[in-house]
Amino acid sequence: MDNLMSEGLSLMVFGMGFVFVFLTLLVFATGFMSKVIAKVVPEAPPQPARPAAPAAAPAPAGGDELIAVMTAAVHQYRKN
Amino acid sequence: MENLLNLWHASGIYNVSPGQIVMIAVGLLLLFLAISKNFEPLLLVPIGFGGIMANIPEAGLAFSAVENALHLGGPEVLQSLASSLGLDSADPYAIKEAYNSSTAQAHTAAVYAANDAGYNNGMLYNFYTIAIASGAAPLLIFMGVGAMTDFGPLLANPKTLFLGAAAQFGIFATVLGAVGLTTLGLMDFSIQDAAAIGIIGGADGPTAIYVASLLAPDLLGAIAVAAYSYMALVPMIQPPIMRALTTDAERQISMVQLRHISKVEKVMFPIVLLMLVAMLLPDAAPLLGMFCFGNLMRECGVVDRLSDTAQNALINIVTIFLGLSVGSKLSADKFLDIETLGILLLGIVAFGIGTACGVIMAKIMNKMQGGNSINPLIGSAGVSAVPMAARVSNKLGLEANSQNFLLMHAMGPNVAGVIGSAVAAGVMIKFVG
Repeated sequence: MDNLMSEGLSLMVFGMGFVFVFLTLLVFATGFMSKVIAKVVPEAPPQPARPAAPAAAPAPAGGDELIAVMTAAVHQYRKN
Repeated sequence: MENLLNLWHASGIYNVSPGQIVMIAVGLLLLFLAISKNFEPLLLVPIGFGGIMANIPEAGLAFSAVENALHLGGPEVLQSLASSLGLDSADPYAIKEAYNSSTAQAHTAAVYAANDAGYNNGMLYNFYTIAIASGAAPLLIFMGVGAMTDFGPLLANPKTLFLGAAAQFGIFATVLGAVGLTTLGLMDFSIQDAAAIGIIGGADGPTAIYVASLLAPDLLGAIAVAAYSYMALVPMIQPPIMRALTTDAERQISMVQLRHISKVEKVMFPIVLLMLVAMLLPDAAPLLGMFCFGNLMRECGVVDRLSDTAQNALINIVTIFLGLSVGSKLSADKFLDIETLGILLLGIVAFGIGTACGVIMAKIMNKMQGGNSINPLIGSAGVSAVPMAARVSNKLGLEANSQNFLLMHAMGPNVAGVIGSAVAAGVMIKFVG
């Protein structure tokens, strides 16, 4: 019976210890991951919003330019 | 006249045993709690109904082919079973004993002998074998839970993982309580039983069923019923403990808004967690592996169909089979026992200790960080029971300060509790399995 009690005690000490060690490591791993991601993919959240707007602007601009060039080319061609 | 007598002898009224009547009443009580009191109805309805079906006399729905043959078969059937197991006497008890402790080969021979005599596994027995004995159903549910879990609040404040860890103390304290009761001679639990009972304190149904199916299948019915009933009772069990351990000023602490979490972080987190499990605790890999898989499906954004199935259709299907299978374990000879009372008692103690430790840990963390940044009420959410425990924290926070919304802050320790109890389960399986 004492054997059972000591088994229970050791399960408690080891089990609780392990849960804490594991979750502590997870805290560090998560923090590390967040830092690495913040460096590798800097400011990820605002980016989709900001570059999306500028990116949206140049695209039509590029299109306009292209249209202008093409119109000019067509005019040139017709003139000839 | 003889036909009439046969009909009477085959009727339920003639065959029913007092134990079965009590267990049918227990099943009806579970149905009442589920339907009229709204206690975890998704599980208690199938469990209660399964429990009633398992106790229908002579139907043998919850028994294996051999058990049915033993119960219903004539002397020739008993004789052929006995010879298949290598016994001389055809005493049913001796056969049952031999069947339960036989080698796989003799076991199969006995099953064939029963099948030849025309006896088959009961329906609920088949469900149990497929859904729980194989470990499949709790793991699929865990996958669905993973697909429903948002780790954002946890990633925004990873320190809340400590709260999830502290609340697992309830599990291990209960293990000690169970072996203590055995040492005092009040109950008779092995260390495996004690571990399976303790996991009720994790407040996580699938984890409790998974651990019980591996460590103490005989106690599974009582453990599952206790785990799910207490999860339904979280809003009643936790608040008094939380109020007793915190001051009014502490309850009024409002926490800073959580930072935004990028999608990349959310996608990477289940992979980081899986790697950590793979490196440190392979025994928790089935539970946390499925959990991480479900979460990755949710966050990666390219398999929305799979994620949707995992968190809706699949989890519903699995819940039906899981509930009925648990119900099949509510048989009179296993459930009507002083030990069930012990399990119910220890389970609620586990819950209470877990809640208290979470709150105390939150108080300590708050003191270490200057005393005005962590509301100790979120500590109680460390006992998983997602999202009920977090809602309780939120409710108590609003009572103290009507502008204090703690729900998102409490979700961090809440999902940390799920990880914590799965880790605790892995440790138990490793140490005593």
